[in-house]
Amino acid sequence: MNLDLLRSVHVFPIRHHSPRSSAALRAFLEHTRPSLVLVEGPHDATHLLAALVDPGTKPPVAILGYRVDGEQGSSLWPFATYSPEYVAVKWAAERGARAEFIDIAIGTALAPHEGEVVGHEDLDDPGSEESWAPEHEADEPAAAVAQVQEEEEEAPRVNVYQACAEARGFRSFEEFWEASFEAPAYDPSSFREALIAYADLVRAEGDRLVHRARDAFMARQVLERIEQGIAPERIAVVVGAAHAAAFAAGDVDLSLDECLPAPVPVAATLIPYSFPRLAEQLGYGAGNRAPRYYQRAHDAGCDFQRATLEVLVEFTEHLRLRGFMASLADTIEAYRLAVRLADIRGKAGPGLDEVREATIATLCRGDAAHVDGFLWPAMIGKSVGHVASRIGRTSLQEEFWREVRARRLPASDAPESFTLQLTNETEVGTSIFLHRLRIGEVPYPTYLGTQRGLGGRAARAKQDAALDTQAFLSQVNEAWEAQWTPATDVALVEKIVLGDTLEQVVTRALGERLANAGGAGDAADVLLDAVLTSCPVTVSAALRACDRLAAYDDDLPSLARTTSNVSYLVSFGSTRSRSSVGDQVLVPLARKSFDRAVLRVRQACTGDDEAVAPIKGALRTLHDLATSRPYLDQQAWAEAARDIAETFTVNPACSGMCCGLLYLAQKLDEDEVSRIVGLRLGAIGEPLAAASFLDGFLEVNALVMVKSRPVVEALDAFLAGIAPERFRETLPVLRRAFSRLGTTERRYLLENVLVARRIADRAEAAHIVLLEQDRERLVAMSDELSAAMDDLDELL
Amino acid sequence: MTDIRLPAEVKHKAELEALAASDNAPRPPGWRLSPRAVETYVMGSDTPVGGVLITPKYIGDRALVQVAIATLASDRALMLVGEPGTAKSWLSEHLAAAISGTSGLIVQGTAGTSEEQLKYGWNYALLLAEGPSQKALVPSPILRAMREGKFARLEEITRTSSEIQDALISILSEKQIAIPELGEGVSAARGFNIIATANTRDRGVNEMSAALKRRFNFVTIPVVEDLEQEIRIVTRREAELRSDYQVGVEPPAELAKVLVTLFQELRAGVTKDGKTKVKQPGSVLSTAEAISVLFNSGILAQHFGDGQVTPEDLVRSLLGAVAKESRDDVKAVREYCETVAKGRAGLWKEFYSAAKRRLNP
Repeated sequence: MNLDLLRSVHVFPIRHHSPRSSAALRAFLEHTRPSLVLVEGPHDATHLLAALVDPGTKPPVAILGYRVDGEQGSSLWPFATYSPEYVAVKWAAERGARAEFIDIAIGTALAPHEGEVVGHEDLDDPGSEESWAPEHEADEPAAAVAQVQEEEEEAPRVNVYQACAEARGFRSFEEFWEASFEAPAYDPSSFREALIAYADLVRAEGDRLVHRARDAFMARQVLERIEQGIAPERIAVVVGAAHAAAFAAGDVDLSLDECLPAPVPVAATLIPYSFPRLAEQLGYGAGNRAPRYYQRAHDAGCDFQRATLEVLVEFTEHLRLRGFMASLADTIEAYRLAVRLADIRGKAGPGLDEVREATIATLCRGDAAHVDGFLWPAMIGKSVGHVASRIGRTSLQEEFWREVRARRLPASDAPESFTLQLTNETEVGTSIFLHRLRIGEVPYPTYLGTQRGLGGRAARAKQDAALDTQAFLSQVNEAWEAQWTPATDVALVEKIVLGDTLEQVVTRALGERLANAGGAGDAADVLLDAVLTSCPVTVSAALRACDRLAAYDDDLPSLARTTSNVSYLVSFGSTRSRSSVGDQVLVPLARKSFDRAVLRVRQACTGDDEAVAPIKGALRTLHDLATSRPYLDQQAWAEAARDIAETFTVNPACSGMCCGLLYLAQKLDEDEVSRIVGLRLGAIGEPLAAASFLDGFLEVNALVMVKSRPVVEALDAFLAGIAPERFRETLPVLRRAFSRLGTTERRYLLENVLVARRIADRAEAAHIVLLEQDRERLVAMSDELSAAMDDLDELL
Repeated sequence: MTDIRLPAEVKHKAELEALAASDNAPRPPGWRLSPRAVETYVMGSDTPVGGVLITPKYIGDRALVQVAIATLASDRALMLVGEPGTAKSWLSEHLAAAISGTSGLIVQGTAGTSEEQLKYGWNYALLLAEGPSQKALVPSPILRAMREGKFARLEEITRTSSEIQDALISILSEKQIAIPELGEGVSAARGFNIIATANTRDRGVNEMSAALKRRFNFVTIPVVEDLEQEIRIVTRREAELRSDYQVGVEPPAELAKVLVTLFQELRAGVTKDGKTKVKQPGSVLSTAEAISVLFNSGILAQHFGDGQVTPEDLVRSLLGAVAKESRDDVKAVREYCETVAKGRAGLWKEFYSAAKRRLNP
């Protein structure tokens, strides 16, 4: 193949998502009038171009390429209206020219290569290496390590961009780019020269092999078209600046494309995209700092001054709406200041930084809060694109969008919160829908809490901990936050292998969990999730699994959980249907697992402190169930618990806990408790074991314990009786035990100790100490209170 | 030179002249330097200009200085706001010196500032003898600035009463002062503008009206949060003070670091590593305060010590700076010493033991 032919082709360099590139490109295309426009983009996605330029498609949209061989891996090729690639394709469609993608296939871009995926980033964009990293989740740790090393090696290169910017007196690369390439009103040829000169500079710093290989691949594609008989001067090639510079310099080694790995099996589709995501991928493309601002500039014919004015007028409006003084004179001054600042900095026109700083100095009177809180988000925008109906959506996408529209759920790329009242049928349906998305791992809903009140600061913690399904089922309202992101659609496309409807996806996911269930407890958890998401098939499967597993499950916590979950279903007459299962199935199952659990108590309670930690939780669950569910054998539990409380061969913490539980349920009277506690804490016993007993005992309900004078007396005698040399080793356990006591408990304890030691007259001194602590707490509380008042002020 | 403190335009005369000589960028009317050269004067330059090294006057965000300069070139006045001791007046002085050649046209805002100080007064002997005349008129700094096309400075604007603030509105919007007694008015020559400063701690003392605010562009001078940056500021300014006053000895660099770290941690209420919470004192621990503490300990060492600045000297000067507002603040420093300083190595050890001796009641 003749590389020289490459020079007679009209090559135009671009940077992704750069309005100036787009404007210059359009003028260039108008001037050269090619009949074939070759664009940097995966060549096997050329069939999506028709849908991309369809009038029904409204950018931002993205080509989603994803692996279909069961491996994780997908990548996005986003397009905004102002993306030069989109402009090129659109121009071709308008002028009847042919448009094709010429970059490496999606499958090649997703294929692993030297410890990371090949990718489709361009050399001329800083930070592009990292920006895609989260998309390709490296499964094996080895790959992750390799990736880290790679990034470390490349760190000096990333600094080339920063150095380039700093040398010209700019704070960041983006500012440099904006001032050097976006703001000046270039004609196509001077823009082309400037951008290629810049790309040459970056290329001189060394190039990654995959970039060079892609140079070769794209060059080959172009040459093939020429061989097919299209005159080179009838071809326009629209590629990233570094590729264009390579073509212009003839610096292409055609043999290099052989080093690209074999493609992995993939599929591609077009999905909606959004401005916030574009802004997130800073580094992949220019102008992404503020997509809406760039959109405005693009719409105004790449006029940044106009975009600046529009943004400022909108912001003035916003300030007025919020009740702030904002005059037109301020707006004018903000604009003038932005222009003057740009002038001082030697820029052709104001950019984002100038707009920001000028607005703070004028409209905001030196206070950056409004600018960061509103102006900036408004520059980014939250628009979501739309894909023409000719692109077949997966049935999951159909279902998702149908439900979202019908239920009027948020569909924009900004978090919105709302509360569902589970007393009406429709909102229960919405809740089921959201829970299905949650369990199906489709990123869209976030569960905030039970009430609006929680929706504030407390719920910001979000659902990091595993959510308790029982808590869901008992609620009458749920607070949610939902945000559509392109990741939602990505997940919906990828999940289609699990089922055609959300119900199938969830059934499948729960089915897998059921198959992996190690004990009855796991199966019972699935059971509740199945009820929550209204999956009748799974409900009955989970019931059967519970029944089967409970028969030979020896794990006490698991059995306790089973009992708890099943008896929860028995008594829950709430919002969701639990399909066809009735009490005749559930009650026997609950009894079965309960009885089995009670038989396992003794055995479970032997073990060291670490081993019995989960057991203690199970003991409490069993106790609560035994005392509240009439159909469970309360007597058997009481006997088992008493046995534990009295036995010295089990873990003393369990004994303490059982003793406490029984005392709380009034199954043990004062005398018996003081006898048991006295025995345990008596001088003959091991102090460590005694302290451990105490720990378990106080864990149940410390307040009740410290209010009982006989208990406190026994305690006092025990503490005073520990030999000094043993005291040190007992101390950690004692500390833990007493750390459970709050201020009130401590006060009761102190009072009782004082009485027990007959030194009540000195109580005054102790009282003062306690008061001092309370005062500090009051001060802390009033801090919180004033913070809340400040918040309120802000709101008003 | 016997003056303790020279105004910026005298002290940095050589720098300003060198900048003016090599400055060929266009200058706004009435300006002695182009905006770029003013920026270089304030921020300093790595390479000498016309053979003269330009020292940095303000160490901090360049963008902020650019906004200030761009504002002054327009018809809006500049308002510098910030916590006490963040170099507002300092920046205002240097901007006025660089742009107008004088930083002396200054009105100090107080509760007693009168309209005469803002506009004009009379030499009453002359007034009684000859009646109103130009000779009998005593112009205010602002009136003089208007006549000469220079910058006037207005310090602590929020301290002045609302009548004075209202009088300022007409000066700023009309750019002239009427003198009805003479039947004439003075209109501002090109190059006139006002740099005002206001203290955020004073917010609410005499809150500015919306109408007055509209006449200003606001630049907020931030409290320095970067440790190295603040150490640079403190040591540089301390050295300047030492040479101005011809007193004191140079403190070791590590001591400055101890001091600035202490200030920043007390200010933030948490240690630099974010691990320990610290009680915040009520008094303002500004950069200016740190400079004076360091300078002060140098004097103590020179005259009452052995000529070496020790942590002991630092603690002694620190006490006066911190305990301005209430005794509780000393308690806060004591707590800080016990929870933070105690566990640290190096000079901190000496600092801790000195603090223990000095601070305990």
